[in-house]
Amino acid sequence: SVKQHVVKKFLGLMSSQNVPVYLIDPLVLGLIDKDIEQIRSTSDGPSPECKYFCSPRDFTTFALLDKTWKHEVDLFRTAEKMGFQWLRILHKDPRLDGMDDLSGTEIPLHYIFKLASHAIHLVIFYERSGHYLWHGPLRLKQHMDRKFVPFQKLHFGRYPGAYEKSELLSVSIDDLKVQIPRNPSSFLEEIPHSRFLECRYREARAFFQLYPDDTSLDAVEFRRKAKSLLHLAAVTLNNLGVKFWLSSGTCLGWYRQCSIIPYSKDVDLGIFIRDYKADIIPAFQKAGLPLKHKFGKVEDSLELSFQGDGDIKLDIFFFYEEDDHIWNGGTQAKSGKKFKYLFPKFTLCWTEFVELKVHVPCETLQYVEANYGPEWRVPVKMWDWKSSPSNVQDNGVWPVEEWDEVIQIF
Amino acid sequence: MEEWKGSPAAKPHKKRSWYLAWKYKLMNQRALRKLCQTGAVLFLLVTVIVNIKLILDTRRAAYEEEEESTQEYDDEMLDVEVPKQPANTRKVLDVEVYSSRSKVYVAVDGTTVLEDDAREQGRGIHVIVLNQATGHVMAKRVFDTYSPHEDEAMVLFLNMVARGRILIFTIKDEGSFHLKDTAKNLLKSLGSQVAPFLSWRDMWTFVGKKGGEVYGEKHAKSPALSTWGDPVLLKTEVHLTSLEDAECHWPNTELNRRRKTFCSKVEGYGSVCSCKDPTPIEFNPEPLKNNKVFDVPVAVIAGNRPNYLYRMLRSLLSAQGVNPEMITVFIDGYYEEPMDVVELFGLAGIQHTPISIKNARVSQHYKASLTATFNLFPEAKFAVVLEEDLDISVDFFSFLSQSIYLLEEDESLYCISAWNDQGYEHTAEDPSLLYRVETMPGLGWVLRKNLYKEELEPKWPTPEKLWDWDMWMRMPEQRKGRECIIPDISRSYHFGIVGLNMNGYFHEAYFKKHKFNTVPNVQLKNVESLKKDAYEIEIHRLLGEAEVLDHSKNPCEDSFVPDTEGKVYVMFIRMEQEADFTTWTQLAKCLHIWDLDVRGNHKGLWRLFRKKNHFLVVGVPASPYSSKKPPSVTPIYMEPPAKEEGAVAVPAVPAAEQT
Repeated sequence: SVKQHVVKKFLGLMSSQNVPVYLIDPLVLGLIDKDIEQIRSTSDGPSPECKYFCSPRDFTTFALLDKTWKHEVDLFRTAEKMGFQWLRILHKDPRLDGMDDLSGTEIPLHYIFKLASHAIHLVIFYERSGHYLWHGPLRLKQHMDRKFVPFQKLHFGRYPGAYEKSELLSVSIDDLKVQIPRNPSSFLEEIPHSRFLECRYREARAFFQLYPDDTSLDAVEFRRKAKSLLHLAAVTLNNLGVKFWLSSGTCLGWYRQCSIIPYSKDVDLGIFIRDYKADIIPAFQKAGLPLKHKFGKVEDSLELSFQGDGDIKLDIFFFYEEDDHIWNGGTQAKSGKKFKYLFPKFTLCWTEFVELKVHVPCETLQYVEANYGPEWRVPVKMWDWKSSPSNVQDNGVWPVEEWDEVIQIF
Repeated sequence: MEEWKGSPAAKPHKKRSWYLAWKYKLMNQRALRKLCQTGAVLFLLVTVIVNIKLILDTRRAAYEEEEESTQEYDDEMLDVEVPKQPANTRKVLDVEVYSSRSKVYVAVDGTTVLEDDAREQGRGIHVIVLNQATGHVMAKRVFDTYSPHEDEAMVLFLNMVARGRILIFTIKDEGSFHLKDTAKNLLKSLGSQVAPFLSWRDMWTFVGKKGGEVYGEKHAKSPALSTWGDPVLLKTEVHLTSLEDAECHWPNTELNRRRKTFCSKVEGYGSVCSCKDPTPIEFNPEPLKNNKVFDVPVAVIAGNRPNYLYRMLRSLLSAQGVNPEMITVFIDGYYEEPMDVVELFGLAGIQHTPISIKNARVSQHYKASLTATFNLFPEAKFAVVLEEDLDISVDFFSFLSQSIYLLEEDESLYCISAWNDQGYEHTAEDPSLLYRVETMPGLGWVLRKNLYKEELEPKWPTPEKLWDWDMWMRMPEQRKGRECIIPDISRSYHFGIVGLNMNGYFHEAYFKKHKFNTVPNVQLKNVESLKKDAYEIEIHRLLGEAEVLDHSKNPCEDSFVPDTEGKVYVMFIRMEQEADFTTWTQLAKCLHIWDLDVRGNHKGLWRLFRKKNHFLVVGVPASPYSSKKPPSVTPIYMEPPAKEEGAVAVPAVPAAEQT
């Protein structure tokens, strides 16, 4: 078929130029994943039929890790000689975005190679701080040919994306030698949740113009400790497979100023109650973070607090999903009063924060506004979690007989 | 500005001479003496205020200029979007050149390409090179030929300009005092009739094609020693040639396409743009076996000294084991020419908009460059930091490849540096030898990522602190007692003389005679012994083996060290406590090594070579190695010279500055 022919030519081109591309096409990987055991065991030998590359599609998606490739002009000359038409999407380098006033050469994010009726979409992945791979959005510039390929149908590029680094596996399918992620199913699972948000560096700079950053030794020291606490928490939760996101003040710090708010005094994370695991408490204790208090219970208003190094607290709030909103609970220890903090529904996106790939609510503005009100841009040092949040509601009082369970202070 | 030396016959500021005259007149009248004094104080105050305002204005002007150049860059960027119209649709250029005491300018087709009317700046001969096909400015230089040796630089530059280019000359203030015959003859050979007779405070303009016709020349003689020639304005036409004629016909390869782009834009890089026999821009040095630094990013910190950058990158790309993919050049400012140089070599360049002034700006540029380096190479554990005014030794990467593991395994290390502050021609000998030192030399060094990320970056001095980054890094709060590894013979060579804190004298005295390794593939000796505890054992072994020198002799004299080779000698100097460097400084001074502050020490011990013998200096009693001193030996004490004498010898620059 045309498709198999084009893929073959493309792979020939890439191997002749030493460009180590690998297959990430969700549809083809999906087919491969079904037969993965068989494909792994029979590493060579021609397959009887064209099984994977022959279903009629407009394009096939490949990936390329930037650092494994030396940008060569020759590649495109050779491609043209072979009859390919190509398109390149350039963008400013997001790895320099957080830096004041740096401007580097634009970097390639996507290539499209077209031959006859089939196109190859080549997504360039970049390593970023926080041990992950990033690909950029696909945005056409004004002079570009909007009908070059059916852009709407491309699987990658609607949003930027973040992925785990994956090892590669060489396989032979449909008479073609091709590299694929070693574990196609986990890569496929990542795709729908891969959307990446860049920090709002420009707004953060504007914020610091208005409110100059605290660069005192105390602030430096707090940020260092908070960063290492966040790293420790991330490792611990990731090992357990528990999905979490930056919440409250930590989320506000990311969204407003791309850094830890030095007077915030703690690190706040959110976890959906459906992801709760009983192992969480022992895992943190093992990591050297003793439980400081536990409020509520799994069924209602659960909140954990761990003692980090030198006065910094790690607060974990558990979120409960309802039909039209999401909430987490609070408890006042001395009175047994309950509070409820309401949020509009949100999904999770990846971002990079203090050299860490972490989740934040994609709908961050709504999330932050729910919590801190429309004036969230103005720093407030006096914060009372019982009255200051704009989404707080009274939620009754814990029955006295439950206090021993729902108000535990260590 | 600091280097400005006024014309000897020039009167001081006008206001001041008026003030002096007034003062002398009044001096004779006793009754007015009091008034005179008050007046003098008042006037001094006014002068100070006026001067401060002047300085501020000049600064502001300098800033505005920068903003303008930023503007130009933006326009350039816009140009990229829209294909450029070939400029040679017009065949003739109108050129205007003006020369006078206080102002020069050059206009090409009504566009001012040079204008300099700043006070106390830009004295000498201004040279502009135009592309003969497009009329674009390819180079702009000023040679202060009132001062010595600048004419040699001009000759060098003019010789590098390709034949056929259009050269424009104009003098500001004075350009003849140190314009020697070689330079005059060269100007004559370019077609100037006046050049051989140029004299004191003459005004002069000249436009000609290199190796071709003369488009015009004007000259105004100075009538007397104390006055300048009248301003001259030359208006002439220059005929453009076709683009074909202006370009070389190199084979159409990727490398030559880069070369062509470069050579049609800038001038003054000599044979790289030679049509017949261009010098290579790709070097392909031998790869390094088992290269441990192949994946280590290299950050080159640059300003607007494109000729330096060119020289630096050539040596860097020629070093064995270099990996061009890992190199990023960080340019402090939106300067085009340094970027052109970076692109010529096919490297990655990043520009940094200036945010602060002078030293603080350098410091902020360093921070941005280091942060960006670790962002761009997030998996890197180290970064190599280089500056644009360094030559890199052929075995630079081999040296690092053999030693970098120390930085990983030994927590007591702060850096590995390619530079030995005390490694002069007469004091360094062994390319395979390494030291541990308590000072941080810089000038080509390796930074550990976690040191930067965990410690330095979060508290890096903010712009308003106006600190030198290297001084800051040397402070005990940062260094925390950690040491750097350095080679006996430096793997970098500091050639820059036109830096922020550099001047010719300073460079001559402290950098020119520095030893620089040129031997490839040097196998380093016993690298393991550089680790903290092993090094102590090594030092004790050395001291045990060392012969104690005759302490009754003068340590400054050559005869202090016997005429032997390959022996180890030790001397003991007085050092009352850890920070007492009185005798050391005097010794360093008479040995003609770095004496402006203390460098190269390890626990009160210095290691160098004299007459090809290893020469150890131990400070007694502060050094823990004092116990090695035989009881009969009295440590040598050398007295510092009287204050005033000392003040003459030290140039007016921050003592420790090396950037």
